[in-house]
Amino acid sequence: MKYFLYWGCSLEASGANFLVSLKPSCEALGMEFLEIEDWNCCGASVSYAGAGDLAIKVANARNLAIAEAEGGYDVVAPCSSCYIQMIKVNHEIKEDPDLLEQVNVCLAEGGLKYRGNLNVRHIQDVLYNDIGVDKIKERVIKPLSGLKVAGYVGCQSVRPYGEYDSVNKPVVQDRLLEALGAEAVPFPNKIKCCGSGLFVPEMDYCMELVKNILEDALNHGAKLISTVCPMCAMNLEIYQNRINDHYGTHFDVPIVYLTQLMAIAFGMDMKKHAALNYNLIPPEGVIHAAIG
Amino acid sequence: MDKKTAVYICTGCGIGDALNVEQLLEEGTEEFTIDVSKDHPCLCGVEGVEVIKKDIADEGINTVIIGACSYRVNYDVFNFGPDVIVERVNLREQVAWVMPPEDENTQELAEDNLRMGCSKAKDTQLPEPFKAEEEYSKDVLVVGGGIAGMTAALETAKAGYKAILVEKEDKLGGFLGKMKQSVTMPYKELADTGAAEMIAAVEAEEKIKVYTSSTVEKISGGPGIFSVDIKNNGNAVNERAGAVVQATGWVPYDANKLDHLGYGKFKDVITNVEMEEMAAAGKITRPSDGSPVKNVLFIQCAGSRDPEHLPYCSSVCCLVSMKQATYVKEQDPEAVNYVLYKDVRTVGQAEDFYRKAQQDGNIFIRGAATEVGEAGGKLFVEADDELLGENVKIEDLDLVVLAVGMVPASKPAVTPRIKAPADAENADEEGMIEVLPDSGFFANSALNLAYRQGPELPTLKYGFPDSHFICFPYETRRTGIYSAGCVKRPMETAKALDDAAGAAMKAVQCSELTAVGKAVHPRSGDMTYPEFNMNRCTQCKRCTEECPFGAINEDEKANPLPNPTRCRRCGVCMGACPERIISFKNYSVGMIGNMIKSVNVPEEDEEKPRVICLICENDALPALDMAGIKRMKWSPYVRFVQMRCLGSMNLVWIADSLSRGIDGILLMGCRHGDDYQCHFVKGSELANTRLSKVSETLDRLALESERVKFVEVGITDYEKIPKIIDDFMETIEEVGPNPYKGW
Amino acid sequence: MENKMGYNASFAEEVFRNVDSGDEIKMCMNCGVCAASCPLREHMDYPPRQIFSLIRAGKREEVLGSQSIMLCTSCYTCVVKCPRSIPVMDVMHGLAHYALKKGYTPRIEAARFGKEFWNQVYRRGRVDERDLAQRAYFAGGFWEGVKKILEFADVGIKLVLHRRMKLIPEKKIKGISTLRKMLDKAEMLDKGRSVQ
Repeated sequence: MKYFLYWGCSLEASGANFLVSLKPSCEALGMEFLEIEDWNCCGASVSYAGAGDLAIKVANARNLAIAEAEGGYDVVAPCSSCYIQMIKVNHEIKEDPDLLEQVNVCLAEGGLKYRGNLNVRHIQDVLYNDIGVDKIKERVIKPLSGLKVAGYVGCQSVRPYGEYDSVNKPVVQDRLLEALGAEAVPFPNKIKCCGSGLFVPEMDYCMELVKNILEDALNHGAKLISTVCPMCAMNLEIYQNRINDHYGTHFDVPIVYLTQLMAIAFGMDMKKHAALNYNLIPPEGVIHAAIG
Repeated sequence: MDKKTAVYICTGCGIGDALNVEQLLEEGTEEFTIDVSKDHPCLCGVEGVEVIKKDIADEGINTVIIGACSYRVNYDVFNFGPDVIVERVNLREQVAWVMPPEDENTQELAEDNLRMGCSKAKDTQLPEPFKAEEEYSKDVLVVGGGIAGMTAALETAKAGYKAILVEKEDKLGGFLGKMKQSVTMPYKELADTGAAEMIAAVEAEEKIKVYTSSTVEKISGGPGIFSVDIKNNGNAVNERAGAVVQATGWVPYDANKLDHLGYGKFKDVITNVEMEEMAAAGKITRPSDGSPVKNVLFIQCAGSRDPEHLPYCSSVCCLVSMKQATYVKEQDPEAVNYVLYKDVRTVGQAEDFYRKAQQDGNIFIRGAATEVGEAGGKLFVEADDELLGENVKIEDLDLVVLAVGMVPASKPAVTPRIKAPADAENADEEGMIEVLPDSGFFANSALNLAYRQGPELPTLKYGFPDSHFICFPYETRRTGIYSAGCVKRPMETAKALDDAAGAAMKAVQCSELTAVGKAVHPRSGDMTYPEFNMNRCTQCKRCTEECPFGAINEDEKANPLPNPTRCRRCGVCMGACPERIISFKNYSVGMIGNMIKSVNVPEEDEEKPRVICLICENDALPALDMAGIKRMKWSPYVRFVQMRCLGSMNLVWIADSLSRGIDGILLMGCRHGDDYQCHFVKGSELANTRLSKVSETLDRLALESERVKFVEVGITDYEKIPKIIDDFMETIEEVGPNPYKGW
Repeated sequence: MENKMGYNASFAEEVFRNVDSGDEIKMCMNCGVCAASCPLREHMDYPPRQIFSLIRAGKREEVLGSQSIMLCTSCYTCVVKCPRSIPVMDVMHGLAHYALKKGYTPRIEAARFGKEFWNQVYRRGRVDERDLAQRAYFAGGFWEGVKKILEFADVGIKLVLHRRMKLIPEKKIKGISTLRKMLDKAEMLDKGRSVQ
């Protein structure tokens, strides 16, 4: 199965462990990835400070137009922010043909045109609906049995459209974790916001959000937290020290990408494929404690 | 009627396991003449019913006593035609399902139940339906020619009946005819009112006789035999009708009472009705100088939901203001509408029009107006903005529209006063007293009923002539007279259409049932009616006063003049009569008295108390059945006696029971008071009042007052029943056994 | 004259016309679910519902100068919960963009961060996280920048050590000049709308 993989800026930097683990683990399931030629940044969720709504949409439509012209395979966006920005354009132009026309007036400046025929997919969507839990189970060599994971869904991978999972009670990530043999603990904060791009400028306010999420995961018995968003992973992982200093807590919870767990369960290399050496808080300890 | 009686006991549904049926058939029927007695494992099955039918055919059985399930189930299965009396004895919900099996007390309960059934069957006679001397009419009189009245007339005609439509104005249409446009299903856009088409349809319908510029001067008689005097352009006309629909509509609340909102003070403060008239006439302008309108503010709930004015919500004003805001925008798209509201109430699909009004850019402000004033030739409104939490000022207004509510057209402008009865407390110096809203005098003369209890429909609250609208939509407290449209409660056009169609159907039903001597709701189909043994009447007027439906008139000597077609068969008159001269063929003071007497009262040393529970068949008895179905448990010492309404309870039953050694009397009736649930409006309240006089009886017998207790039981209260019974049994245990046992 | 706030429909009209998603607020029925669902509601001077009320009341200064419009984490919870299907988040973003354009800077750091983010997109076609952080820190002046750099030095070093921060600057995408033309056109169309 061929897909365009739109990994975006973060997965080349702070979210590198996502991209490094995603490619081998998904390719092991028969997925084939193409890169969108000369793609640009999606603008993420903070660009409104510098750009109008239309400009942000045009930036995303450019990527879609290139992909549409290059074969029209479904575009898979692992980063939640990339995903939401792209799928939003797709949704809105479907409801509003005038918008599509406006977007195309802008794209024409670069000789491009978007017809609106592409599907934008989240990586969880593709794993759950195209591959399916049965096929994933078949591929598992080292089941993560005994590993208690809080599947943190966050915001933009399901909200607001709920394309492939419930916006209020998402289950897909838990089902995928279970397919890997892990135990997905119930976790009410699973769809609470981590602060996203606002974390850096509004750290005082956002630390509490992350603290609540970490606390909730631990209170429900989780040994590590899995995520599918580079923003979530960063906010949850790299500021734990700061939160400990501020609140007098003792968080030291490994934050891993779902794809890192996939690579481990598929029996791949812990460094080369699972990219565990990229993690600031090493997850090897809890993983070995659970699966040996 | 020469009775041949058979008793059948069903042993299915666990009855056979709980009881010794052989003993039951013997002990329970001992004192009665029984020609056939049998048991069957499944009486309601084809075979079981066949056994009974065979006995009716072969043995000439004409009175059937069935000891099985509640009378509320299988009533169709155990119906053997009009010539066979059927009496149901409950051995399932009240016995087998709730009492311990093969227990002495359970057995005694079943035997008492059967005895009571046999006693009742013995005293019951086949009903002979009432037939009036006059010829019956099935025409429907519709009073009021607005949307509700016209719809009622059209629906009557569509059902194949004739309608007589009386309208006081010179043309049909009512408020509908005065509107520019309406908002109705599907609530997306403004629509034509449809008044012209509806008027044309009424006028073209042969089955509808229209009287415009006419009033109803007098209605006498009763359902099926109403005689209607109409004044038509000064001429007297008489019509006959089987039933009546009152659709006299509404009037706007008097805005002169709203001077705090600037009405009467500023010419550009108008009511929503005036706004509608202006829009219908062509153009919305400032009344003060005829100049164009740019900024409009609507004050919602002008006088509504205000204890000083109209305490209720009229349910349509929000939609009306949104409609009128649309008129303003259509006239000038740049115009600005402000809507100052308490709550937006656009019920159901009408929410779509609220969305439209928002989409149009109208500005909704949640809050209450504190001042309406004028500055520089323009109006301003100050308001407490609830969402901003501060007092705000909206200036430069050309027009302020007061969204006033609906007052039923039946409500008089001035509360009438009548000569106070001798013992009245609130009489003024001239001996006059203010009429209570539900007295039947509290109304403009729309119907002019020649009824002892007043000329108009009694009103329930705020002057609306309604009955219990959840249990009985359309019913009023006058049999055969149904209210429809805004006279009943405020409603918008779509609901008025439904309401009028429903009322017309009820009216047709009523004429049809009356013509064959049957009762209407809630005892629809009942062919018995109260019969008066006038020889013994003492002219005490209790029956004429207490009848909740105004069925009994009076002559000059205070003799009751029953109108059986107006009767709902509740038996309130029977309970009221101190001389016990009122009875039904299957329900009388003597009959219930005999049932109670058939209950065995064990000797004191047996330590088995006996309690009689007089239980209303409308809510309490179904609740008891429900408790039985849920297999709840309660004391086996209680004997339930079914009442048509607790209002039919006669104090003599209590006196007789207590003097026989019955330890306590429990009465279960419907909730009364403002939110009454009594199916006959006043029955349970009357029973409660009568009970206050029971102390005389108790004093005479030197018995404790705790032995008699009244409890209100709603249809959903089944889970409370075991506790009610157990608490009462505890009380009885505390006061000890009745000393009259064994006398 | 008493200090009474006058209702004035012109600001509402301004918002309906000029703010991205601004006309969506017409449909607000003031239930407050947006406020209740917002993760940062406690830190807002006016929760979204009240922002909408203020717009209707014509309180231009209060709205465009409010902290709340810059405190959106873009979590979409309000969008999902709104019973009137108003994209509350988009409205808040629209208002923030409009306020910044009109010279209001209620939350200066969030504004600098967002502006610099877009700046990267526009200049390079992609975002260089290290460069972004650096520029955002120094947007408030040299010393403030140094202070911030030191404050976050530990994070930066750790990321570098774990191969999650590149030291070589990100290159421009190949089609950067056409991308800019497209974005310029979009902003021009946007301006055209505002003038209408």
